[in-house]
Amino acid sequence: MHRLAITLPLILCSLNAYSEESFWDNLQVHGFASQAVIKTSDNRFFGDSPDTSFDFTEIGINASLPVNPQILLAGQLLARRAGDMYDGTPTLDYGLADMTFASSAEQRWGVRLGRIKNSLGIYNETRDVPFTRPGIFLPQVIYYDKVRNLMLSTDGLMFYGESYHDDRGTLSLTLGGGQSVIDDNVAWAFLGNDFGGELEPDGVAGLFRFWYTTPEERLQLGVSGALVSMQFEPGQYSPLSAGTTDLFFWIVSFQYGAEDWTLTAEYAGEPIKWRDYQSPFSPDRDVTAESYYLQGAYRLRPDLQLLLRYEEGYADRNDRDGVQSSAMTGGAIPPFNSFSKIWTAGLRWDIDQHWMVRAEYQRHQGTFILSSKENPDPGQPQADWNLWAVQAVFRF
Amino acid sequence: MNRRHWTLLFASLALMFWSLTLTAQELIVNRATPHQPISRNSARLCFTMRLLSWENRLPVKVFVFPDNHPTHRQFTKSVLGLFPYQLRQVWDRQIFSGTGRAPVIVATEQEMIEQVAATPGGIGYVESGANHPQIRILEVR
Repeated sequence: MHRLAITLPLILCSLNAYSEESFWDNLQVHGFASQAVIKTSDNRFFGDSPDTSFDFTEIGINASLPVNPQILLAGQLLARRAGDMYDGTPTLDYGLADMTFASSAEQRWGVRLGRIKNSLGIYNETRDVPFTRPGIFLPQVIYYDKVRNLMLSTDGLMFYGESYHDDRGTLSLTLGGGQSVIDDNVAWAFLGNDFGGELEPDGVAGLFRFWYTTPEERLQLGVSGALVSMQFEPGQYSPLSAGTTDLFFWIVSFQYGAEDWTLTAEYAGEPIKWRDYQSPFSPDRDVTAESYYLQGAYRLRPDLQLLLRYEEGYADRNDRDGVQSSAMTGGAIPPFNSFSKIWTAGLRWDIDQHWMVRAEYQRHQGTFILSSKENPDPGQPQADWNLWAVQAVFRF
Repeated sequence: MNRRHWTLLFASLALMFWSLTLTAQELIVNRATPHQPISRNSARLCFTMRLLSWENRLPVKVFVFPDNHPTHRQFTKSVLGLFPYQLRQVWDRQIFSGTGRAPVIVATEQEMIEQVAATPGGIGYVESGANHPQIRILEVR
């Protein structure tokens, strides 16, 4: 607080020097739009994919305006249609004030205030911006689309610091907290149904990110995580009591980039606690979900990129084949609902600075990554299934 | 071809290669920015939009060519030591998460020189030499 008191007058002074050119000259506006076509052999994924789905559309527009070199205001509106999970209603993706208290060739630190994208793993911050993703779909075992909102953003405060060393690289740390933004997909994912009630954030969610990058940004190593508590508010006819679900989601990330290829690997662990629902549908239990992937991208030309990825995700690391959790439900939920093993192959073509198209094939074993909102009958899904998708993207 | 022809061919190839290395891209700044040469690391911080102001408090304003421009590709690799796709990733992450800004894109060398000359705190690059009273070539160490 003391520092803030010293820095604020400085920031206001520099406003004068900056105001020679028009304030609005520095406004930057960017945006994107994408449309995908998805076909699966079985199981619903982003809409009625067994009959070919067009229900995956992303439209975003953002603006940023520096008040002076130290204060940046930025916001983005996002309309996202994703099968039965999202209907395309525009939402505020982020809206923040970024205040830099120090910026030099040695270090930079400051604070962000407002709705902030969670900097989890390599991709979460820009997960809905199609050309920042390696494929049409991010690795679903870590960047779940069935519960994306829980990890998406936080209404709160984030401190950041970066330290630059000429020959050793960059170290950066982000620490923050606030209220996580939750929607009813979260209830479907963690309780299996909405059970006539609402799952709401309980207290403050905590976030951290610690990152190392070599001087020429070839190698990146990082660890990041989020600590989230949720409380269930039962409706009048809800079979569940006011229970709580607490989770700690953490990711270890690795990326190495050469001129023609990039290798990426991430590992995520997620201990989850269910308490006090007082119902056979949701007994008290502790489970640790586990997932990881290895991904290679090869640039045939600067505008043409091949993608190959293998990923595995488990709802419970101590019950990888899902037999125990299936038995708990008397076999109503099949064992393969507790894991996903996915091979992905893709090709991306950046036609020019505005247009990009890509195609993707996925071979799935297991249905852990499917949304139970899209596949409500647990007896229905097929264990082995295929996915084909194409996507066209425009940006400016 | 006799031996003299071979020698001549070899000599002219060597000359061509030498002249290629001579036309290394140069980092240019507006005259109002500080005078000292900058480190490669500082140059990287400028072009990844992480260094926000110069020592004299002028805001850093970055100008670049489009991603596929030959001068951009060469400058990124030989002066900054980065690959163009890495710069693009850094910019996109910042623009689309609200944590930073994009550089201003210019189409021609002429436009590059004019913009940097007209912008106090401006920084950019050219293929070789920039003759303008408002522009200084900055040495990268």
